[in-house]
Amino acid sequence: MTAPTTAPTTAPTTLPAVDGAKALRVGAIAGVTAIFIAAIGMVEVFDDHSVIDPLLSLGYLSIAWIPLLFGYRATHQLVLEGMEPPKTGAHNLISGALTGAFGGAMLGGFALLVDTVDVREILINVTPRLIEILAFGQSAAVGALILIALGGAIGALGGAFHLMSNHWRRAVSSAFLWILIVGFLELVLGNVFKGFGVGFLNDVVYSESRGITTGAAVVIGVAVVAMHFGFAGSAAAVRERFLSLPEAKRRSTGFIVAVTLMAVGMVVPSVFGPFLNEVLATVGLFMLMALGLNIVVGYAGLLDLGYVAFFAVGAYTMAVFSSPLTPGDFTPEMAFYSALPFVIIMATIAGIIVGTPVIRMRGDYLAIVTLAFGEIARLVFQADWLKGMFGGAQGILRIGWSEAVGKSTIVTMFGYVLVAVGGVVGLIGFLRWRSARADDDASSAKKAGIWIGLGTTAAVIGLLFPDFASWTVTGIDSEAVFRLVLVFVALAAFISWRLQDSRIGRAWMAMREDEQVAETMGINVVTAKLLAFIIGAILAALGGALFAVKIGTIFPSSFKIVQSIIILVVVIVGGMGSLRGVAVGALVLIGVLGGPTQPGMLREFQEFKLLIYGVLLVYMMLQRPEGLIPSARRSRELHGDELKQDVWLDKDGEEEV
Amino acid sequence: MALLEITGLVKQFGGLQALGGVDFHIDEGEIVSVIGPNGAGKTTFFNVISGMFPPDEGEIIFDDRDVAGLTPDQITRRGIARTFQNVRLFPNMTILENVMVAQHSRTSKGVFAALFQTPGFRKEEALIRERARDVLGFFGTRLTGYRFDQPAFTLSYANRRRLEIARAMGTEPRLLLLDEPTAGMNPSETAELTGLITKLRDERGFTIVVIEHEMKVVRDVSDRVVVLDHGVQIAQGTYDEVSTNEDVIEAYLGRPAESR
Repeated sequence: MTAPTTAPTTAPTTLPAVDGAKALRVGAIAGVTAIFIAAIGMVEVFDDHSVIDPLLSLGYLSIAWIPLLFGYRATHQLVLEGMEPPKTGAHNLISGALTGAFGGAMLGGFALLVDTVDVREILINVTPRLIEILAFGQSAAVGALILIALGGAIGALGGAFHLMSNHWRRAVSSAFLWILIVGFLELVLGNVFKGFGVGFLNDVVYSESRGITTGAAVVIGVAVVAMHFGFAGSAAAVRERFLSLPEAKRRSTGFIVAVTLMAVGMVVPSVFGPFLNEVLATVGLFMLMALGLNIVVGYAGLLDLGYVAFFAVGAYTMAVFSSPLTPGDFTPEMAFYSALPFVIIMATIAGIIVGTPVIRMRGDYLAIVTLAFGEIARLVFQADWLKGMFGGAQGILRIGWSEAVGKSTIVTMFGYVLVAVGGVVGLIGFLRWRSARADDDASSAKKAGIWIGLGTTAAVIGLLFPDFASWTVTGIDSEAVFRLVLVFVALAAFISWRLQDSRIGRAWMAMREDEQVAETMGINVVTAKLLAFIIGAILAALGGALFAVKIGTIFPSSFKIVQSIIILVVVIVGGMGSLRGVAVGALVLIGVLGGPTQPGMLREFQEFKLLIYGVLLVYMMLQRPEGLIPSARRSRELHGDELKQDVWLDKDGEEEV
Repeated sequence: MALLEITGLVKQFGGLQALGGVDFHIDEGEIVSVIGPNGAGKTTFFNVISGMFPPDEGEIIFDDRDVAGLTPDQITRRGIARTFQNVRLFPNMTILENVMVAQHSRTSKGVFAALFQTPGFRKEEALIRERARDVLGFFGTRLTGYRFDQPAFTLSYANRRRLEIARAMGTEPRLLLLDEPTAGMNPSETAELTGLITKLRDERGFTIVVIEHEMKVVRDVSDRVVVLDHGVQIAQGTYDEVSTNEDVIEAYLGRPAESR
């Protein structure tokens, strides 16, 4: 698919001939991909999970996308501005079919081969069951023919995408996509249906083997296509309108949406089962860390590959300060919130320790050094040298242990929450009052007085009745853990959001764009970098602390390099520097695939997770480096029409603000 | 009293002597052009003054204090700002943000103020915005005609140059170092910028050092011209004095064949 397009376009009136060599070349890549996926066992493992019952199982889907995509790519041509778009016609279909059939033939040949020769010594996943699946329950030879025919058909379908108008193409692709999404969300939607008393929908939409029923698939497909034509362009119009709002308005709209989502996130877990809540809690933890990493990588442009170090520091600090079973004599046995300030202090120190030596480094060198720091952190916690403190490879047990409950717990006393909130409100009121006094503005001063009064009252009530209400979250109660994590995510998002458009945020941005120039514009890059590292470290450490109490036990092996990489993938796939992007990235990636050790919604993906993360990362880097939901800044870069400078030049002088 | 007084400035890159003991001074409110053939050390001269490279030897007395060896941000804080020969904006930041960020060293609010949006923070933000608009307004309709929240990379070349000057003005300097401000501009743009440089001094009170190749610009703006060649000053004086100076002509054109 990377081969240069050789299709001749000399005579515009006649259709270009079918480029057989190219079709075969693309087909060969498709075949190799399909064989690879079959041979690593994906097809077999996924076979039990149906997507559209009884037509398509996830196993077949894991290879069926190949002829579709490659059939499309076989005649795909990049159309640049000013170039005549290539003619479409039968050659698209034929090339697609040829590609698909050749790929199918290779897979069929592979099935035939492994049917006659036993290769299980080498390819351990090539089981008889796999051969049976690939042969559609027939003999291998018949199966191969079926594969060729199916490959050809699907490939032709892929090629047919060229014949559709843009509008249809989009409608059909999103129909496919929605069928898949609804299929995959079986667990979520099933719980939601049940929770809202429409459990019968479950039986209508979903079959016993977890997929959606054929009827439901047809309904969804038709509905999506109909929607596309019914509401043609209205989504784009809404988006356009949103983007054309002034910056401040856009921000406040975004804030309202975020608050609404947060409220939904607080309510929704009640209808979910324990497994789904577990997944959600994992998503929340990774979202928290991804938001932290986003500050370091997305805002300040410092590629930190050892982010897990801060996560580990947070977890171990929480463990040492809260566990009754610390290996050393230092056993304060604090509650979660009492230990939290120490977590923040240790994270700050860790941020400075990692940040200081890498101040003068850029790009690749920074990445390599931070990568090493990530490993160093793990080895320090694992070392026998510090076994008396961190327990070496045995780790630390009973983190945040509550004797009364007999579990790892986090008790939130709303009295203290009141004190904290009251303190902040009072402080803000005081500052307003001071500035109002300086401006001689009596009415503002009066308003500020109300703030002070409310804040003080809340703080006093909180102090008088510190435990008038409390919220006990045990580590194994994933529903409550998720809600708690969500509060921290909100905090992280708030911090990111406020810093983005401040003096500090602009300094980071400038540093990311051109460090040297930023320095000559008066930005102290040492402070700016350290600040980014410290804030990132604190957010990761909060994630670590929550993780430690949630699990109750930590080992050095929980803090492997892959953790850093996955958080980074979340940030990159979501969209660097974009809060929405990072949130969506965490939700989609961690939610569907799961964390490094934690399961996601599709449990079958467990063993192939790293492969998929890797493929996704490479694909995103090549095709969409700005991420799924790029920040407004980056999406503006992609607005082609703004690149036409002459348009602006012509307006020179006329347009005045 | 000179605003900037440089004595014996030396900068070597390995065996290459980029600056070999330059003496230089500029008075408050003066416009001095630095000219010289390619590789004469003009940009290195700027880089050393602005702190991007520390000097090997020599004194840089700015406003009665030695600034040699300070970091670029400290020097900017003292009141020296520069532009770059090859325009180096922050391309993905908006036009307004480019100028706003330049006020970093003139403002002070930190993380906590930003998180709680304290009144002080809001006032400072408003002030930064207002100053940035004021600075951009200096360029007339050239930069205000655009929406301020367009990213800088959408600007035309000449406007990028203007924005770079605006950004340097944003740091509220006393001394502006302009590195070939008219490079790559067409004659009418060059003429406009020539007027602008004078205006910068007359209306905004900046003291200006400008590196320039375009002799017409040099003639029109400079109170004094300093000629560098091979890292040393070979001549200085008014434009007319310098343009008839034997050494200068030799540095630019070479020695006449018969005098060898």
